[in-house]
Amino acid sequence: MKGGAIIWRVASFAVAAGFIALWQLVANWKLVSPVFLPGPDRAWASLLRGFSSGDLWSKLIGTLEHMAYGWLAASIAGIAIGAMIGSSRPMRTYVAPSLEFLRPLPVSAIIPVAIAAFGLTQGMALLVIAFGAIWPIMLATIHGFAAVEPRLYEVARSLQMSRLAVIFKIALPSASPDILAGMRLSLTVALILSVVCEILAGLDGLGHWVLLSARAFRSADLFAGVILLGVTGYVTSVAMSLAERRLLAWQASQR
Amino acid sequence: MAIAAKRQEASVSPLAAPQLAFADATLALGGKTIIENLNLGVRPGEFLCIVGASGCGKTTALRLAAGLYQPTSGAVTFDGQPMLQPRREIAIVFQDYGKALLPWRTAAGNVSLALEAGGISVTERPARIDALLRKVGLPGHAEKYPAEMSGGMQQRLQIARCLAQEPKALLMDEPFGALDAMTRQGLQDEVLSLVAASNATVIFVTHDLDEAIYLGDRVVGLLPHPGRIGIELAVNLPRPRDQLATREHPEFLRLRRQLFDFIKATEQ
Repeated sequence: MKGGAIIWRVASFAVAAGFIALWQLVANWKLVSPVFLPGPDRAWASLLRGFSSGDLWSKLIGTLEHMAYGWLAASIAGIAIGAMIGSSRPMRTYVAPSLEFLRPLPVSAIIPVAIAAFGLTQGMALLVIAFGAIWPIMLATIHGFAAVEPRLYEVARSLQMSRLAVIFKIALPSASPDILAGMRLSLTVALILSVVCEILAGLDGLGHWVLLSARAFRSADLFAGVILLGVTGYVTSVAMSLAERRLLAWQASQR
Repeated sequence: MAIAAKRQEASVSPLAAPQLAFADATLALGGKTIIENLNLGVRPGEFLCIVGASGCGKTTALRLAAGLYQPTSGAVTFDGQPMLQPRREIAIVFQDYGKALLPWRTAAGNVSLALEAGGISVTERPARIDALLRKVGLPGHAEKYPAEMSGGMQQRLQIARCLAQEPKALLMDEPFGALDAMTRQGLQDEVLSLVAASNATVIFVTHDLDEAIYLGDRVVGLLPHPGRIGIELAVNLPRPRDQLATREHPEFLRLRRQLFDFIKATEQ
């Protein structure tokens, strides 16, 4: 089993390496004009140059900041509102349908509204990212709070636990698998919206970098930015999975 | 055993005022009367068993005693005061231990929940948890999650959490209903000795007539639709009870016969 896992890991790296090699070949044979498609060698060189000059660093940090602030705001608000709605049956009955209507609304559609209201500012970006990222978290929290085992509430009543203690010792931990799953989904949404906001509002970040590189036909820089965005998405999602596994260690014993 | 003897004396005295009392308690849920005019007093330190066919309202009666339900009319009192809500001094052992334990807390953490609710300081908790887990036969399992424990162990854990409340009364709702026969007998004896040591009043709901007679000082049989008392038997069997000797005692067999006849009649 262990040996098999290693073979699969090696095979998956081989596939990735194969794709990069193919990309290099396509670029070398100029099947696509070098103006639009740099080889991985040039993209890599641009990446190194960007980091050594510090340009790419500041853009990466810009994007990470947009993503992190928006995601954190969405998490705090989403968990708080979700807990409020999820723990009350009337609220669930009356409010949840409206939420289901709002949720599939493409968030990019509200960007013009947000720009009109707040201008091309960091505040606008924060609002848009948080608004987009709040949905998975809030809906997962509502579901998690609604699904708490009723018996546990009876245990809490017989122990005469305070309302606050019930929320923090019973409801929140019980809903934590749902909440963390929602937060993982939101992470991706937050990254997407960070890039969109940077492109539309010209805010400092990788989105802006990618846009400017494309307009200047600096394809190597463009690809460096795209690669960095991909890595950002991958690393944050892996980090989230690790955090999830750590926080939900108790679930492993249940399966 | 000295404690057990003292306990029995206390429970035998018919003059003691009831600690937990149903006074004309009626409960209707959704337009249906589940319990009607229930009058029942449980003396301090008494071990009362409630039996009855399924659907006769025995669990509902227990929930009334726990304060989880409020009677539609009449009253349920504890130490003379109406039970308007559950209280920490009345512990409930639920049948579905799997749902009543916190899966994200270890055995120690689950016991700790009751200590936290009782305002026991952080420094005092580990020693108490240790003693409680030892008491219910779970030493060395403190760091296990409930899902890693067998059904019998989980029920022991729930009992440990209830004992952590230092209850005056213990309400047990078919606590061994989901366990196999051997585990069940072991736990019956453990509950008897734990209760004897704590001097708590017990209401024990079960559908197992032998279990009711084996454990109880008194057995009450309920009639269904609506639930009301149909039979009341004093169990004058020597304590400590013994799985073989008690179950072979002529008095045990007589009571068993009487109770079986009663249940049979209610089912017709």
